Amino acid sequence: MKSTVITTNGLRKVYRGRAAVEQLDLNIGQGEIYGFLGPNGAGKTTTIRMLLGLIQPTSGDIQIFGKELRKHKLQILRRVGSLVESPSYYGHLSAADNLEAIRRILDVPKARIAEVLDIVSLTGEEKRPVKGFSLGMKQRLGIAAALLGSPELLILDEPTNGLDPSGIQEIRSLIKRLPAEYGITVLVSSHLLSEIEQMADTVGIIRQGTMIYQDTIAHLQEQAAGELRLTVSEPEAALKLSSLSGCGGSLQESRIVLPRMSDARVALLVRELVENGHAVYRVEEHRQSLEQFFLQVIEGGIS
Amino acid sequence: MNMRGFIRILSAERLKLSRSFIWLLVSISPLVALPVGALADIRQDGEPVSWQVLLNVMSMMHALLFLPVLTGLFAALICRAEHSDGGWKMLLSLPVTRTAVYVAKFTIIMALLACVQLVFFIVLLSIGLYRGAEGAVPWPLLISSLLGGWFACLPLAALQLGVSQGWSSFGAPLALNVSLTLPNILVVNSATYGPYYPWVQPLLAMSPFGGESFGAFVLPAQTLMLVVSVSLIVFLGGGLLYFQRKAV
Repeated sequence: MKSTVITTNGLRKVYRGRAAVEQLDLNIGQGEIYGFLGPNGAGKTTTIRMLLGLIQPTSGDIQIFGKELRKHKLQILRRVGSLVESPSYYGHLSAADNLEAIRRILDVPKARIAEVLDIVSLTGEEKRPVKGFSLGMKQRLGIAAALLGSPELLILDEPTNGLDPSGIQEIRSLIKRLPAEYGITVLVSSHLLSEIEQMADTVGIIRQGTMIYQDTIAHLQEQAAGELRLTVSEPEAALKLSSLSGCGGSLQESRIVLPRMSDARVALLVRELVENGHAVYRVEEHRQSLEQFFLQVIEGGIS
Repeated sequence: MNMRGFIRILSAERLKLSRSFIWLLVSISPLVALPVGALADIRQDGEPVSWQVLLNVMSMMHALLFLPVLTGLFAALICRAEHSDGGWKMLLSLPVTRTAVYVAKFTIIMALLACVQLVFFIVLLSIGLYRGAEGAVPWPLLISSLLGGWFACLPLAALQLGVSQGWSSFGAPLALNVSLTLPNILVVNSATYGPYYPWVQPLLAMSPFGGESFGAFVLPAQTLMLVVSVSLIVFLGGGLLYFQRKAV
């Protein structure tokens, strides 16, 4: 079994009587990209701030690298890189000097600056004052800063927020490289499912401060995968066929709706229908988009 | 608080100030005091000016207005970048203790104020030597005056740092500071309130009015040191406690 990097237990944060995060149990395994998904205001940033020790949880505990965050904060933070909200810079300083300020605190070799600039493809721009950078470049510099201390865990809060499509693409491919090339575990939050779907291995969906889904992306896709719709000449009679009703078929708007099944099963069904004298007009697969499934999950309960 | 960690943060903070216009602010007050010192007390009989008079006239504006205002300005400036775009989050999610960060920021303000005093000292010394002020350079007087002025600014620095890190607005701490500095003009003449009003302490510490006794100037040095030290401990401790508990 993979070892876990982040575990939270009944994490809770109350602001002025309102729970921003409630009973949150995160479970993030070594070397995975964990997508932390939820609408704006669901408690993603609050959770991330608790994970970084920026705010104190009201109750519950956080373990990172198997150690209690409260007790070993500095040791843990030394192994974590983060980018929370938009990155902050000293605009009058160059990219290299901004990284140097952080390098001095982390006490890593000077050569590391050139390395991280190379990872985020900012080599050649390091002498320019940061105030002239585009948002995408600033975001990449923020990731460079987060990578400076050679972290084992990278926490990125909405890293693609406000970027144009090419900027989003750059950040996404950068994040996807990190576990494979550097063995870094990544926690990335977003309010866009399509974002997470394209990057993450595991997804945690949070709604109103509560985790409502936590599993692999593959499993999510499976659950969201659609249904089979059959249009036949006499649907009611057809549904009485044992094999059709046996696999949970139902009648909707004079069509037979079946859960998704293998190609062989579909072929078998169609043959049986034909052999029993039914005319098969259409066999359609209706795929609910993951986005629709996500909305359904967000709006109420797990399907 | 670990010393090596503190030194590393301090070195990062110093780097953040490089190429910043903050360094221009350091020389403003001494430059304003320069013509004042150059033109003050020019006598018809050709008698040389005294060091004491030079120090008095030059430190008037400097310690009464510029030092307190600059203290607030430095505090606001070194917190400004952290307030924009989640800078506190970035800084405090690094492996640093909040105490070390706070004390490093305070140390930077102390260093900037020390630079102001140093430049002022150089200007004062140059004018005195150029005008051939009476007698030898009174080193003990000048040095105790400059150090005293610097030390008397530290409670203000602690208070302003506390306010500047707490309020995300850049202007509000400055407005507070200026509105507390302006009453100096009145408070300095009051024997009742002068000794206890932190904003007026830099002037009281810097000006060697000695014999001339009016307002708060007659204060013995011990009282002044006590007032400054106590307010420094209160303001620095309060700010630090708040900063450690602050939700970032």
